[in-house]
Amino acid sequence: MESAATLTRLVRRVFYRLVVPVVSIAAALSVSGVLIVVASGNPLEAYGAMLQGAAGSIGSLATTGVRTTPILLTGLAVAISFRAGVFNVGAEGQLYVGAAFATVVAVAPLGLPGFIHVLLALLAGFVGGALWVAIPAYLRAYRGVSEVVTTLMLNFVGIYLISYLIDPITGPIGERNASYAQSALVQETARLPVLISGTSLHAGLLLGIGLAVALQILLRYTGLGFRLRMLGGNPTAARFTGMNSSRQIVIAMLISGGIAGLAGAGEVIGLRMRLYDRFSPGYGYDGIAVALLANSSPLGVILSASFFGALRAGANAMQQATGIETSLVLIIQALTILFVIFGPLRGWVATRTTRRAGLTPGGSESAP
Amino acid sequence: MGRIGCRGNQEKAGVGSTDQQSSAPELLRMERITKRFGDLVANDEVTFEVLPGEIHALLGENGAGKSTLMKILYGLQQPDSGQINLDRRPVTIRSPHEAVSLGIGMVHQKFMLVPNLTALENVVLGVSSPRPPLLELRDPRRRLMKLAEEHELAIDPDVPVWQLSVGAQQRLEILKALYRGARLLILDEPTAVLAPVEVGQLFRVMRLLAAEGRGIVFISHKLSEVKAVSDRITVLRLGRVTGSLPTAAASPSILSSMMVGRDVSLERVSPPVQGDAPILELQDVSCLTDRRTPGLDSVSLTVRRGEIVGVAGVDGNGQRELVECIAGLRPITGGRIAIQGRPPKGALRTIGLLGLIPEDRHEQGLVGDFDVAENLVLRAYGRRPFSAFGFLRWNHIRSHAVEQIDAYDIRCPGPETKVHHLSGGNQQKVIVARETQEDPALLVAAQPTRGLDVGAVESVLNLIRGQRDRGAAVLLVSTELPELFAVSDRVVVMHAGQIMGAVPPDPTRLGEVGEMMMGHTIQVAGDGGTAA
Repeated sequence: MESAATLTRLVRRVFYRLVVPVVSIAAALSVSGVLIVVASGNPLEAYGAMLQGAAGSIGSLATTGVRTTPILLTGLAVAISFRAGVFNVGAEGQLYVGAAFATVVAVAPLGLPGFIHVLLALLAGFVGGALWVAIPAYLRAYRGVSEVVTTLMLNFVGIYLISYLIDPITGPIGERNASYAQSALVQETARLPVLISGTSLHAGLLLGIGLAVALQILLRYTGLGFRLRMLGGNPTAARFTGMNSSRQIVIAMLISGGIAGLAGAGEVIGLRMRLYDRFSPGYGYDGIAVALLANSSPLGVILSASFFGALRAGANAMQQATGIETSLVLIIQALTILFVIFGPLRGWVATRTTRRAGLTPGGSESAP
Repeated sequence: MGRIGCRGNQEKAGVGSTDQQSSAPELLRMERITKRFGDLVANDEVTFEVLPGEIHALLGENGAGKSTLMKILYGLQQPDSGQINLDRRPVTIRSPHEAVSLGIGMVHQKFMLVPNLTALENVVLGVSSPRPPLLELRDPRRRLMKLAEEHELAIDPDVPVWQLSVGAQQRLEILKALYRGARLLILDEPTAVLAPVEVGQLFRVMRLLAAEGRGIVFISHKLSEVKAVSDRITVLRLGRVTGSLPTAAASPSILSSMMVGRDVSLERVSPPVQGDAPILELQDVSCLTDRRTPGLDSVSLTVRRGEIVGVAGVDGNGQRELVECIAGLRPITGGRIAIQGRPPKGALRTIGLLGLIPEDRHEQGLVGDFDVAENLVLRAYGRRPFSAFGFLRWNHIRSHAVEQIDAYDIRCPGPETKVHHLSGGNQQKVIVARETQEDPALLVAAQPTRGLDVGAVESVLNLIRGQRDRGAAVLLVSTELPELFAVSDRVVVMHAGQIMGAVPPDPTRLGEVGEMMMGHTIQVAGDGGTAA
């Protein structure tokens, strides 16, 4: 009896959490469908080809996984900062710096067992990302400087820093006399294992999923998570409990930057095996979209990252089958986010859930 | 300047003495306005009128219903019943836009300006251009400068608003309203953001505007300002008009008794416990406000075990700073604070030392998106039994919530209810429960009954009394004199960051408190001194 009620409540809660993202995706696909029709294509055919390319075979599923991995990690990075009320929009730069740190460790012939070398490289990636966000974190926590501006601007600094580091002539970690700007090859011992042989799906995906679960536990079941949520929920009230908000802001941002750094590390030691100039097509920015669609829930990020990953994976197949440009997926992605932040949809869920609680919305807040 | 002021005064005198009497050409008449929010009656049959050329002050404590009444007038809220008449014609005001087109202008407490636009651009924003679709600024500039000159509202039209001082922004807001043809101007606590010199300037401008036949509604809870500038005063208390009288006939004691309420029972429920050990000691404490102006000025105060010390005063006279200094949330610039001999820094993190009921429930006391159980452990979540080895123990947190909901009679569906769904009184009980659960040596309660209905006031005050009877030292800050007199063992009065004096909670001493609230020093007999 008791457990049945708990189960119903859980189902209801999950349902209301899924309403906004699912309806937003459906709406985005519909509007994009109209665009396809306008461009004299067949939307069903296009989406069918896309689905085929994203999930039609083991190989395409693996591609979806590969595309999901980096945005899953950057999505988690952004989500954890959002939950603490901090807007780290610098995942892109942190990803690059994390990738560079991981590269330095991964290309060194340390003679370590594979497992430990991989861990060291990932750790270096985390440290690199965390270091890159440390300056904005300090400025935000102790000087009140908006982290939106500082983290965003450091993205460009980070990208150019990596260009310099791997320059074939002057770069300290650039491969000499290479025809491209790239680092040396990652040592065999420092490579993430491939999950399905014959594909490039690597263990970075498992890392992301494991991290999502860990963050969910952190937020819900630990004192640190409680502090971060308190900070995100009401920073003033947090201060009035005697909490040292500045320190929590720094912690939240370091975790966030570190995870973004892991995303860069994963790309280097899992997929590309070298650090390339401009290797990220904007994973750090996609992470913001991923986090928004998931309403900053770590477990939700798994779903939203998979969706965007599948879009990317299916895009090529769609172009080959129907001739529709791959950039359609960018339209879908953008429309999805527009619908997510579209007020009335959230308002509907808010009033429904409020009514469920048997109370009037707003409580006494409407009173003077 | 002087010439204009002189002429203004003459005109004003004319309006006040003759027209008012004979034909009573009232500009505004709000009749029997009632507005409810759930159980709370914000305005209860309020009748309020403004004559042309009149500065009409609307006086009352926070939550008395002033803002609601003005929001109704400005079309931001609709009354449940009642009628608004402008120029003796009934009108319905559905939106601020309609209010503006009827000649009503409002200067909000928080300015409605676009920081990146210049002063002139802010003024024409939303007014259609004389030559659409082009933005024609030449004529508007001329009109604006003329208005500015006529009303001593000096402004540089080409400076972006973010570079303007607060006083200049306020002048711009007034100009904006005049530009839109406001005949009735509502000023919502305009002096709250101003330095004393600027207040004087504002008053002169208000008199000039009134002299032109405009009606001005001046909202304030500062008695001295109301006395200084208005022609007539209407006092609101708990949503009702408690009186309306010409300013000349209003003495501070009459006004304070109207604000406080005449028929309030000042009955004491329990006798004072004789305290001994000092728990809270302040010695010559000074600090700054958020705006870097002096906040506290050499405040000395002692609160002993088992006594409630009430802090009376008009809002904004340093009470907030006092509370934040004691809680270690605001740095002090001089003096010494000790809670059981310790400095306040970290006191909030020390078990059983300090309970704090902050003045703003939503902003400072609760996380609205957290449920009741989480809000009840906002401070204790990291300790046993709620937490072990860094991990939260939800079963303990939840069962604790169930106990507290029962013990403090918090009306809610359950511990998982989000706290923003609760009524104000129940939200306050959540805070009181949380802040007293570890039996703190010192309880600081800032405006704990603000905005609560009568029943909730009673239960919150009883909880605070209970803490005193248990042996806690209690500092109770309130603008509600009857409640202070009903529960305090001693009442100190703050004015302009200083403690003016202390009186025993004897109803016959109410007048003295009123005087001290106005800033008058009173020789108090040796009883209940502040232990300097």
